[in-house]
Amino acid sequence: MTDQNYIVEMKHITKRFPGILANDDVTIQVRQGEIYALLGENGAGKSTLMSMLYGLYEPDDGEILIRGRKVRFKSASDAADQNIGMVHQHFKLVENYTVGENIVLGIEPMKKAFGLFPYVDMREANERIRALSKSYFLEVDPTDVIADVGVSTCQRVEILKMLYRDAEILIFDEPTAILTPQEVEYLLRVMRELRRGGKTIILITHKIEEIKRVADRCAILRRGKLIGVLDVAETTTQEMANLMVGRNVDLQSRKTEAYFGEKVLEVDALSVRNDDRVQVVRNVSFDIRAGEIFAIAGVSGNGQTELADAIAGLMRVESGTIRLNGRDITRGNIRERTEAGVGYIPEDRQKYGVFLDFDLCSNLCLRRYYKAPFSKNGILDFDAFGRYADELIDDYDVRSAQGRKTSVRSMSGGNQQKAIVAREIEEHSALIIFVQPTRGLDMGAIENIHKQILAERERGAAILLISLELDEVMELADTIGVIYNGSLLKIAEASALTSQEIGQYMMGVTAN
Amino acid sequence: MKTISNDFGVKIKSALARFLVNEKWTRLTVPLFCIALTALLSSILLLILGKNPLTAFYSFLAGNGFAAKAKYGAGVGMISDFFQFLNIMAPLLLAALAFIFAYRCGLFNIGISGQMLLSGFLATIWVGYAKELSGGIAKPLVLGIGLIAGGIIGTIVGYLKYKFNIHEVVSTIMINYIISYVTGFYINSYYVDQVSRSSKVISTASRLTFTKTMVLGNYCNVPLGILIAIGMAFLVRFILERTVFGFELKAVGSNRNCALYTGINVGRQIVYSMMISGMLAGLAGVTYYLGFTNTIIPKTLPGMGYDAIATALLGNASPIGAILSSVLITIFQNGSSYMSSMVGVAKEIASVITGILLLFSACGQYFRTVASAYLRDLAEARPVRHESGEEGEENELRP
Repeated sequence: MTDQNYIVEMKHITKRFPGILANDDVTIQVRQGEIYALLGENGAGKSTLMSMLYGLYEPDDGEILIRGRKVRFKSASDAADQNIGMVHQHFKLVENYTVGENIVLGIEPMKKAFGLFPYVDMREANERIRALSKSYFLEVDPTDVIADVGVSTCQRVEILKMLYRDAEILIFDEPTAILTPQEVEYLLRVMRELRRGGKTIILITHKIEEIKRVADRCAILRRGKLIGVLDVAETTTQEMANLMVGRNVDLQSRKTEAYFGEKVLEVDALSVRNDDRVQVVRNVSFDIRAGEIFAIAGVSGNGQTELADAIAGLMRVESGTIRLNGRDITRGNIRERTEAGVGYIPEDRQKYGVFLDFDLCSNLCLRRYYKAPFSKNGILDFDAFGRYADELIDDYDVRSAQGRKTSVRSMSGGNQQKAIVAREIEEHSALIIFVQPTRGLDMGAIENIHKQILAERERGAAILLISLELDEVMELADTIGVIYNGSLLKIAEASALTSQEIGQYMMGVTAN
Repeated sequence: MKTISNDFGVKIKSALARFLVNEKWTRLTVPLFCIALTALLSSILLLILGKNPLTAFYSFLAGNGFAAKAKYGAGVGMISDFFQFLNIMAPLLLAALAFIFAYRCGLFNIGISGQMLLSGFLATIWVGYAKELSGGIAKPLVLGIGLIAGGIIGTIVGYLKYKFNIHEVVSTIMINYIISYVTGFYINSYYVDQVSRSSKVISTASRLTFTKTMVLGNYCNVPLGILIAIGMAFLVRFILERTVFGFELKAVGSNRNCALYTGINVGRQIVYSMMISGMLAGLAGVTYYLGFTNTIIPKTLPGMGYDAIATALLGNASPIGAILSSVLITIFQNGSSYMSSMVGVAKEIASVITGILLLFSACGQYFRTVASAYLRDLAEARPVRHESGEEGEENELRP
């Protein structure tokens, strides 16, 4: 087979970010007219790799060839010139424009009325959009306003935007994460149509089932490295899952025998709606005992974050109750809950966990600043701040350029996370919620945080661990609950489940 | 090797860049750099007009009692000019503090003008026209009315934001108009002075400035307001930097989500911060209308309410910085008449200079970013090589 058959080649790509090797000597070759899947867990480097193909980053090492010719993309428009289009996970649409206007935005067909006054010929544009949408089964009405149409239509608009710009290579970034099963069905059909139309599709996903159904070949990434490229038709789901997750690292031995105490957290029939009035947590019930790590596994966007936010008090509960040590905290405000014994390591650490513009010292004292000895009669005592901060910096090995005076913005993500973990653990709360505690961290930092989670378990804290990383769940959990579409599909002892079984529940398969 | 002049240029540039990005002093060096640029550009402007910039700058200082004028009238001297300078600076500083208090909580109070006008108006009609009140009672009453009137408007704005998510910029602009026209209507209907067409003059007892007071043989208008203003600057600094309340306020201003996560009552903090901002604006209003002047021009919002925003930003939104920046802005604004008479250019040139100053100070962060990017490029282009001759940077700034 000659190189001419490959439309996209990325050879020996290496990309480093501070503290992370996002891609390590990755080579992929995509043929014209195939659906090529990139499979891997969160943080495996899939998105980074595709961002380089789309011109958002430049690789540190390696080269990119399009249609056999070497290219260097400095921006997304360079990539667009090579007929590469990307359907982002978060739509980039103008809410109060129509579908058609959104599609032509930037390349409007101009005409001149009376040979003088320029205007956008929406009629012609809409005709073309209708033709395109018909040929690929992408049902849209170009005159609808974006604000009035659903998520799935928005996605079709994004796809049409690419097609309208004559994109030949389409990158889909986790396209099904936000879709219902029926919509997923529809999207997969569209993808097949696109392939029939001669388009090349690169699909980023961590859902094996989808790959099995549409993809021709599949590259598996793990921790930035290419593990292998498989022919999908000749590989079982099982094999792909094994390769994606990798062998379990032998951390199990570090975990001590479980001693469960009293029930600490009792969640009963909890439902939560988000700002868009969508029910994101549906009738969830579970208990966590002292000394137990209860892990919630699930694909991103299935209600995990909202569940944690509802327990911590950041989101309003629609119905159901939350009890902590027998006390009803369902309606309590955030501070009441913290005082009652809820520690929370949030998913988005820079949005919720720290004040980037404050120094490390203030950030470490966020749970205590209003109490003695940190303040007396409303007056802050910075000596007490400093002493406490130095203690935590020492104990938890938080590294920064200027000690407690460092602005948190200038610290690395790993050290920001260490600071948050230190602050929350040091409260010795009865319940500690960890959401994605190791996201974006390097191996050393991950181990460190895992050790601390286990130490808290030994102390007798109830721990709610929410993670997208299946191996993290498998390593740490005593009990596992699998969440899908807002409901807990399965709750079982960790030892009673294999990661393959969990994977199936994560995809919503219950008949087992 | 490059040519000598080229190398020298690099040295100057890198010294300047280091001066600007210096971690410890950047809060001082960047404004200094902006002031230097302003002096440079306005000198060029004056030279184009055929005037001597040095005379102009000297006149600005002399107009404010920082330097001697050529001649003085009977009974007045340098010190009189200085007290007049303090008379204007007091309300400006208070108004700037009002802006800072809201700004540090992430709110943009552009209703300072309206808050000033309303509190000035209420104090005028309730205390200023009560001839029988003695100074010892009238003056505290004036201050109290200023605090309460401004505080109420601020609270309304904060509550609208907290309860109905109405943006404070929108509500304050609307309230500005309401206050301007309502007070204008009352002044024109009931309190107008038929000759001056503005409100009747208030009683001397209620005025916060002691007029025609003899200081060192000169008649001076001694403002009570400046003591209040400077006192408030330190009080605001204390509240923001040393109290739990200030800590929570800045937390809300810095990251509302994280403030929520921390357990801070974000809504209450927004209302309080707007209330206190309004109170400070109210104090600015009474020191302006019952101090610096003694009358209100109907249907006119004080421009000081907007100058205060610029003053606050020039001072890095810090209370102590605001003292320095209000000194600077007042020098240009108050000194403009004398400068104009001495140099022979329109006094509006002072507004132009203020404008240039604000323009540059708004670019402060940009200068700093450019400087640090330049240093980074330099470090990459010539690793380790460039390590000599970093002293003498101070000289590069002075035009």
